[in-house]
Amino acid sequence: MKILFRNGLLFDGTTLSCEKTDILTEDGIISRIGKGIDDEGANEVYNLSGLILSPGFIDLHCHLRDPGQEWREDLLSGSRAGAAGGFSTLVCMPNTDPPVDNAALIRYLLEKGEECEGSRILPSGCLSRERAGKTLAEMGKMAIAGAVIFTDDGSPVSDTNLLRLALLYSSRLGVRVMEHPEDRSLTSGAQVNDGICSTFSGLKGWPSSAEASDIFRGVSLSMDTGVPIHFTHVSAKESINAVRIAKASDCKVTCDVTPHHLCLDESMVIGSGYDGVFKVTPPLRSASDTDALWEGIRDGTVDAIATDHAPYHLDEKDLPFQESSFGIASLECAVAAVLDEWKRRKEPCPLERLLSLFTSGPARLLPEKWRTLGLIAAGSPADLTVIDPAFEQTVDVSKWKSKARLTPWNGRTLRGWPVMTVVRGKIAYSLIDRVSGGK
Amino acid sequence: MEWKHRHVLDLDTWERPDLQHILEQARSMDELLDRPIKKVPALRGKLVVNLFFEASTRTRVSFELAEKFLSADVVNWSASGSSTGKGETLRDTAWTLEAMGADAVVIRHGAVGAADYLARKLKKSVVFNGGDGAHSHPTQALLDLYTAWKKIGPLEGKKVAMIGDVLHSRVARSDIIAFSKMGSSVVLSGPATLMPRSVEALGATYDENPRSAVRDADIIYLLRIQKERQDEGMFPSLDEYHQLFGFDAALLKHARPDALVMHPGPINRGVEIASDVADGSQSMILGQVRSGVAIRMALLFVYLGGVRQ
Ligand SMILES: [Zn+2]
Repeated sequence: MKILFRNGLLFDGTTLSCEKTDILTEDGIISRIGKGIDDEGANEVYNLSGLILSPGFIDLHCHLRDPGQEWREDLLSGSRAGAAGGFSTLVCMPNTDPPVDNAALIRYLLEKGEECEGSRILPSGCLSRERAGKTLAEMGKMAIAGAVIFTDDGSPVSDTNLLRLALLYSSRLGVRVMEHPEDRSLTSGAQVNDGICSTFSGLKGWPSSAEASDIFRGVSLSMDTGVPIHFTHVSAKESINAVRIAKASDCKVTCDVTPHHLCLDESMVIGSGYDGVFKVTPPLRSASDTDALWEGIRDGTVDAIATDHAPYHLDEKDLPFQESSFGIASLECAVAAVLDEWKRRKEPCPLERLLSLFTSGPARLLPEKWRTLGLIAAGSPADLTVIDPAFEQTVDVSKWKSKARLTPWNGRTLRGWPVMTVVRGKIAYSLIDRVSGGK
Repeated sequence: MEWKHRHVLDLDTWERPDLQHILEQARSMDELLDRPIKKVPALRGKLVVNLFFEASTRTRVSFELAEKFLSADVVNWSASGSSTGKGETLRDTAWTLEAMGADAVVIRHGAVGAADYLARKLKKSVVFNGGDGAHSHPTQALLDLYTAWKKIGPLEGKKVAMIGDVLHSRVARSDIIAFSKMGSSVVLSGPATLMPRSVEALGATYDENPRSAVRDADIIYLLRIQKERQDEGMFPSLDEYHQLFGFDAALLKHARPDALVMHPGPINRGVEIASDVADGSQSMILGQVRSGVAIRMALLFVYLGGVRQ
């Protein structure tokens, strides 16, 4: 199977070229990159004039709820949703039921993932057995089986000794530890940002210090052990500052931010009349926190944008705010939301920087064998995402492939969308008509 | 006047003329309460449902009296004890009430956002928030405004000292907003652990010293201190609270000589307020109860009485 993509503006993972480039993929691998590649022998040809041809986008953090919570999402629906959102790879979180804390479940996810027609599924595994935060999970077996990240996401690793042991133990496995930064003693019962939102709503505030203090703790463990640590869904100014300072002292710390923390803030919780659709952990922060995340993107503090897509059944979410579940579903509009916000903010960073946070940025955090997912090079897997920076579309959650039926962006018209997703050389999602093919 | 609010959820978007209009309407209703026969036919044929998920006899009875004095048909839908997850969801209840033809629903609920949620689910009925979690209690704030206004006239330039657990109080949130919108200055006092983070955003200031907070105040508003906050470690003991922040005759001396003493009730004697001031001549606590009926009648009349343009 040969597919030819013509005239795309090539983003190779680092640099966005303004020259038209062709790419030929052959049996799931990028075989040629160049200009004026002959369409002789191509089964399908697509004209990507005016569109950006990028390495496939990678979502480092999403909840696909499989196994055990399939009423919220499963691997098939999540994989299709991912492709429709422009992601060729999804790293699914292990806080399922049962939690993914063993090699058998890693294999289950990889095998079921193979059958999915959308995004490639890469599983993460729990850091602790039963995600209970007490003893190490079998990280070695899970690494061999194919786990790409270790995390107790949904919860922090509150036991400092356990986190230290996990860093040491995983250091030889080539799989990174991801910490969900939260000091639980500061967030018990908390529902919204500790600031304007907690003040007006009367809901318990989730202070930024709950996130920043856990990052400071993780940074000192990483310094102590020399082992990298990744902080996910960093939401507050203080936390970004903590990561920035750590990076300046050569600590091997990395972080990601979410589309909702980049695009939404706590004023929307109040403005919506406390609509549970805006309820998430960590909570939507102040406008100045949001600005700080964009500054972190601009100056290189942020390594990736990850969705933290957290789908729920309508009945778990469509409730009075205080009773609604924590989590925002965004997989199918996350990229568009970020591109739209980037435009709205008058392009606070070069577009190639933004694109790298969906591609080479997250790829660098994965085990060695997956790093090529983040770049376009001959011999790399044919995982591609095509972006139309000018395309406008209104979010309609009722048509989503995800099982989620609520999202903060529903009804919003966003500018800049993924219009094609290629996974292993197969078109997993496309709004583009092919020019010719069938040979 | 043109009335632009569809429901009474909180007072965040109300402006001074809105508040003033309700106060004036309440005064007419108050006169009605002095008549031997209090009932007027203003809301005849209107169905009002009191939907109470939290037991609150005071608020429910106050609404119910207001509804009955205006001749509305009243249904008390007691949902207390049953939480969501058990039985009907609030969404289903909302649709049921609308199907029954409720013109208005008064909701009291433990969850922040419950009244807003109900308002989003109801297409026709008017929602009156009778208190949602620690968020808002707009009718309480209006009745407090009315009580003070009736007694001392325009509230512009007056000083309100509010002492107690502001953090967990829906009454405090609504009252701070309401009094500041009327032009009063609001000073909060109490342990710093019981203050919300951004009191300035609410339009208030914080003074940890109750004596200076109360100095020259026209109104002293005490908030209920619950024992469970001590159990949660928000302050060391009720005893210490009373010693540091309890309101008594000695503290009252710092206020203006004719200052009003208010409390939303029920009061904890010997904790946030000493009996000498609770029962003293400056106490408005019983006046607040009467104002509650008048203000709720005013609201029901404005929203359901056909004077809306
Ligand atoms: Zn998390």
